[in-house]
Amino acid sequence: MSTAAVTSPLGAIELLDSVIRPTKRNETWRYAPHRQLDALTFGPSVAVDLPADLDEQIPALDGPRVVIVNGVVDRDRSDFATPDGLHVWSLADAAESQPGLADRHVDGAELVDAFTAYNLAYGTDGAVIVVDAGVDIATPIHVVDVALPGSVTNTSSTGVVIHIGAGSSATVVETRLGAGNDSGGSNVRTTITLGDDATLEHIVVQDLPANQVHLSRVDTVQGARSTLRTRSFNLGASYGRLAYHVELAGVGAHAELSGLFFGAGEQTLDQQITVVHRAKDCTSRQLFRGVLDDASTGVFNGGIDVCPGADGTDAEQSNDNLLLSNRAEVNTQPRLEILADEVACKHGATVGQLDDTALYYLRTRGINAEEARRLLINGFADEVVDDVSIETIRDWITRRLGHDHD
Amino acid sequence: MLHVENLTAAIGDKQILKGLDLDVGAGEVHALMGPNGSGKSTFAHALAGRDGYDIGGTATLDGVDLLGMSPEARAAAGIFMGFQYPVEIPGVNNMYFLRTALNSVRRARGETEIGARDFLAVAKEAMELVEMKQDFLDRAVNAGFSGGEKKRNEILQMAVMQPRLAVLDETDSGLDIDALRIIAGGVNALRGPERSMIVITHYQRLLDYITPDFVHVLVDGRIVQSGDRTLALHLEDHGYADYVDADPSASPERPLAGASS
Repeated sequence: MSTAAVTSPLGAIELLDSVIRPTKRNETWRYAPHRQLDALTFGPSVAVDLPADLDEQIPALDGPRVVIVNGVVDRDRSDFATPDGLHVWSLADAAESQPGLADRHVDGAELVDAFTAYNLAYGTDGAVIVVDAGVDIATPIHVVDVALPGSVTNTSSTGVVIHIGAGSSATVVETRLGAGNDSGGSNVRTTITLGDDATLEHIVVQDLPANQVHLSRVDTVQGARSTLRTRSFNLGASYGRLAYHVELAGVGAHAELSGLFFGAGEQTLDQQITVVHRAKDCTSRQLFRGVLDDASTGVFNGGIDVCPGADGTDAEQSNDNLLLSNRAEVNTQPRLEILADEVACKHGATVGQLDDTALYYLRTRGINAEEARRLLINGFADEVVDDVSIETIRDWITRRLGHDHD
Repeated sequence: MLHVENLTAAIGDKQILKGLDLDVGAGEVHALMGPNGSGKSTFAHALAGRDGYDIGGTATLDGVDLLGMSPEARAAAGIFMGFQYPVEIPGVNNMYFLRTALNSVRRARGETEIGARDFLAVAKEAMELVEMKQDFLDRAVNAGFSGGEKKRNEILQMAVMQPRLAVLDETDSGLDIDALRIIAGGVNALRGPERSMIVITHYQRLLDYITPDFVHVLVDGRIVQSGDRTLALHLEDHGYADYVDADPSASPERPLAGASS
């Protein structure tokens, strides 16, 4: 696998010929459905119309919104009006007007896998969100990415760039959806930089249709004393992959990653997490929960890398899973590499089933078996859902999870 | 109201209830006492509908067969079981749980569901009964509750559900004297001409607070002695030794069934 750095989208295109798609031998792609991945095709984005019924699926958030359909910004459905101190552009516009910002998204990107290369080459539109220094943005900023396979190539490529200035705070919601009967999917890459003392809550809700694939990679670099809170909801797609790479680059930075993967049917929901403690006295928390029904598969591959000199690191990781069927499976793997002194690292994983005694208890209170099951499952999932600060999103997720069991 | 005849319960090869007979009339409070392992909790679970037992015999509530019903159908029919070990359910809000429970039985009975505001009034009244504060409703069901709080939460549920028959399984175990007083106060307030109770306990102590109409001694899966509350006092003095590993007819000092001295 090449890890060569590229300096421009053009460079990435030139590299594509030499890029090899991952196989089962690649540890981080071990449980992926490779036949489906091999069927994905990538190319320049082609604008298409969003089906009207999809509008209803999009969580209704007030405030700035960028809607991207098949890798191209849908201006009619987007709202670029922003309060002072906040700037929202399409990535294609920003490449012209803010070349420095757009370049940073591409420059020095590591070609960790073929899909990153495809994204660098073809993900030329998307969203750019910039918060100036010293500003608190109360309204969440919404980025909606919709896959609509059926054009020349079947997988869309989107880029999202987020920069939170020093001492500022903001909340960004990324909703990833899809439509249509054709197989294919979407490949979204988000790069986030947090200035010193900045705070970002970053929410990803992945709910593509069951015949599509979603690939997501979020790369984050944090300044000193900054706080990143990521909440990921891996719900849809036949294969939904949410990868996070978090660099704690400034002293005293804090990263808190929580996520829920909730699978049914034959879904594979894959979380690939790496938190790199590069500076001193940083803290990180990973809290992921999986609920797996039918013949679905969950993957949690969670890494904590403590670099030489990152003394005073305090890192924790937990992954708790609920298997609702004897055909469901979960593969959970912690990866810890500690090369510094005075480090506190904790990790733990559990796999369990619904508690029969709790089910019985609920039923003796008149609650029927199906409802009791749902109460217990939602109670387990709510541990993560409750982390989301935006009520509209919490309600959207709760409704979505409830609907699955009607 | 409750009629139990020749009730048997087994787990695998192990026979726990060996032909239990009991009749509970409307408004009556029956205490069921007995040594460890005599089958008291199994009896409660057999009435509530727990899976995993091989059940034989008869149990009817107001003439309706209970044994073929699911636990939720029994709750709708009016059975409430207070658990010896209330179950912790992290992530499920106590208030939401209580309202779901009440509306489930109302739906099953063909009654209209109760709205959030009206429910709050119901819950508030029930909370005063067991001296609980509002924050109990905001917490997850029993999660992180102390032993006393869990037991109070059981009585709170009973007050909300308003059952026809409450089976309280060792509701007094693990309680200090103040908690015991609160719980007994709640139970007494819920006594009424249309509500019957079976109070399962190890000790006479609870019966100082909740005066039973009848006391039964359960030994080795059968009721071996029945009487009024003086039977409980006798047990307090003499323990269960008279009944354990002994031929019932060979113990002349025991009071006779139903004796009132």
